[in-house]
Amino acid sequence: MIRFIIQRLLQLIPAILISSFIIFFAMNLTGGDPAMIIAGDKASAERIEQVREEYGFNDPVPVQYIRYMAGLVRGDMGISYVTNKDVFKSFMARLPATMELAFASVFFAVLLSIPLGIYTAINQNTWKDNLGMVFALFGVSMPNFWLGLILILFFSLRLGWFPSGGRSGIISVVLPAATVGLGLAALITRTTRSAMLDVIRQDYIRTAKAKGASDRAVIYKHALGNALIPIITVIGLQLANVLTGSVLAESVFAWPGIARLIFDHISKRDTPMVTGSIILCSIMMCLVNTVVDIIYAFVDPRIKAQYVRKG
Amino acid sequence: MTELQQKQRNTTLVMTCPLIITGVVFEKVRCAKKINSKGEKGMKKITSLVLCLVMIFSLVVGCSQGNKDAATGTDEGTSSSKETGSPRIKDTLVIGSAAEINNLDLLAQNDQINNICLKLTHETLIFFTNDGKLEPELAESWEYVDDTTLEIKLKENVKFHDGTPMTAEDVKFTYEMCLNSNASTLMAGLKSVDVIDDYTVRLNLESYDNEFLMNLTAVNVGIQSKKAYESGMDEPYLVGTGQYKFEEWVSGEYVSFVRNENYWDPENAGVAERIIFRPIIEASARTIALQNGEIDVCIDPPINELQFLEKDDNIVVHEQPGTRLFYFAFNTTKEPWNNKTLRQAVAHAINRDDVLTVAVDGKGTPQTTILNRGLWGFYDEMEGFPYDLEKAKAKMAEAGYPDGGISTKLLIANSTPYTDIATVIQDNLKQIGIDVIIDVVEDATLKEICTKGEQELFLWRWNEDQKVDWVYNDLFATGSPYNYHHYSNPVADDLIYKVRTERDQEQRYQYGVELQELLVDDCAQVPLYIANLVIAYNKGLRGQYLFGGGNHDWSRAYIELQ
Repeated sequence: MIRFIIQRLLQLIPAILISSFIIFFAMNLTGGDPAMIIAGDKASAERIEQVREEYGFNDPVPVQYIRYMAGLVRGDMGISYVTNKDVFKSFMARLPATMELAFASVFFAVLLSIPLGIYTAINQNTWKDNLGMVFALFGVSMPNFWLGLILILFFSLRLGWFPSGGRSGIISVVLPAATVGLGLAALITRTTRSAMLDVIRQDYIRTAKAKGASDRAVIYKHALGNALIPIITVIGLQLANVLTGSVLAESVFAWPGIARLIFDHISKRDTPMVTGSIILCSIMMCLVNTVVDIIYAFVDPRIKAQYVRKG
Repeated sequence: MTELQQKQRNTTLVMTCPLIITGVVFEKVRCAKKINSKGEKGMKKITSLVLCLVMIFSLVVGCSQGNKDAATGTDEGTSSSKETGSPRIKDTLVIGSAAEINNLDLLAQNDQINNICLKLTHETLIFFTNDGKLEPELAESWEYVDDTTLEIKLKENVKFHDGTPMTAEDVKFTYEMCLNSNASTLMAGLKSVDVIDDYTVRLNLESYDNEFLMNLTAVNVGIQSKKAYESGMDEPYLVGTGQYKFEEWVSGEYVSFVRNENYWDPENAGVAERIIFRPIIEASARTIALQNGEIDVCIDPPINELQFLEKDDNIVVHEQPGTRLFYFAFNTTKEPWNNKTLRQAVAHAINRDDVLTVAVDGKGTPQTTILNRGLWGFYDEMEGFPYDLEKAKAKMAEAGYPDGGISTKLLIANSTPYTDIATVIQDNLKQIGIDVIIDVVEDATLKEICTKGEQELFLWRWNEDQKVDWVYNDLFATGSPYNYHHYSNPVADDLIYKVRTERDQEQRYQYGVELQELLVDDCAQVPLYIANLVIAYNKGLRGQYLFGGGNHDWSRAYIELQ
């Protein structure tokens, strides 16, 4: 098992190399002169040239990339062009907010979607199933920013139950988590339903029923236990996505997370901040996937046996 | 009902709702139990679960109500009354900004929102009033000893936040730092700074410039403490002489400033105990936060949501003439736009009234001249090229395009109001046979393309509320990096120089008029409109000092509780 974890962590190296390469070059190919942005509106031509020289923008992009990677190897993710602050520290300052939102959204989604998925599966092709699937379609189709604004209008402005934005105590996470979570819930509901449908048609379920096991035991112990693998996969993927990409929800709710940080700095052509943040996001993605793989082993003894054999 | 009562009512409602729900759930469960005794065990489990959830919810709502108030400064319990009979003042003023605060180092940052924050902590030698006058701030007086020597006497009682007096050494130290920073543009023409005595400095200039004094009013060149830098402390640039001291910056959430209790000028000291800036980028969310009382000021409220704010009795929507000029322009070096008559034909075909209505719902003023309204020497009396399709077609024929037949690209930034303006102009130009393809890019990309001169037509804006030279020279002088028109005319260059250096103000004004007439006629740019400044705030706001260009000064602002 430990060997498996080490192998997965080693896979981070090519992931970092590839993501940093793509982002660094993309930032330089997008257009927009960072020297002009750093020097500011109305800066003189001399000042712009001075900045270009100071930051090494006159060097070819591959040279700039190698310089950046040399720093990275030494553990230096660079200094933001815009804030003049250390990229790693800036990212870590925003990470707790993003994690709070991501876990709250996934918690909300799981709480809602797994019971709903099971319920729709055991009531397949009835009006209850159709209603559940309409909800799922609604959740998938709903644009985040629109749903966010509607929730703010109703629960914040009309009822005054929650703040409209910002991160001020546990209550402030409710609306953003519901906004992001509803989209996730839809997907998890559909996955749970189809996984359950696959499983409840298996012979061992029929056998369990024939042996006189109660419906509850059949569904929760035999069926759900065996349907969990795809559900965990989807939850893991969704968690990784939310950890790195809830820019709309973060903007609508003025949530101080990393997606907003990256978005703001892309428009400022702040290559160190964007590249560094994307690298750290890649690492988070890999870690979440590794954790998901480890959870597989706990859920399914066959997978655990594979890990042990390999280890 | 007072704000306090309203809040108490909300809290009571929030706390009571879960209890009512609990009661209803209990009753339902009791009935269910009577009806179906088989499911008793399951029901008990469900009941416990529901009750647990309700209790957790009540707890979270109850606890967090207090947290929210603390973070947003809306807790009425902290409001204070300085003396009996005087108005009650809210401790914290919360300003909702439309942009991220990203750097509070005066010499490294260059965003307007950073400038606004820094106006609380730092002061300049000279203050630029919102009606265009220069007044002493940290300076006592100033005079030109000769054309290239400016002598400034400093006030003697000024103290930095750390209690040390501000002296000529600090001024010299600050201005010399400026020369090697983003503020070097502001200090263009400054050769050196001499300390004459503790409270007198002399600035040695390369040549006389009518507007050099205005450079000293920019917050970027606010006076910093030499001692703070020498002490080796972290972020020495945060030590200033202003009414507020930097308190805390939580990235992406807020920046807070606390009142400087030892401000050197007690008559102009800060009033609110604390001022907080909260970036809320999404405009609708910012509007709702104002309606909710989570913020006291909403910078740049969305025009299409003003109707909701205007209906709210607790909110004032303030409008005043702005200085931000939106314009349509040509790359004068690109075919066929190097043809002046053709440019004039296009200018005649643009309906500025429609543009103004579509872009800002009429909240602005169309104009003919290229200079920002409110600047010294603003002259808008020339005929220019008013909307007239017949004249436009005649000019097209004169330019050699009687049937139009031109296809061109209009480069715009991917933000409001450019997309709206571009649609109107596309339709306008179709009337004279010009097909416009709209090319949308990010701001930074637009600037780069325009600097390189790769665009044909473009839409842009220029915000200037102090120096005419930053319009004439930056936008129209040969070789200027912001001359996106790539316009070059030696007569204009000469007039720009004369406006900068002519000491006889009457004569200078004439040069200014001549220059504006020339630039309008050459038609490298078609000015569209100046957008009004629109800002919404709590009706109790007092002491705000608003600038049409958006560089507001909040150092004396506070909320008077009703």
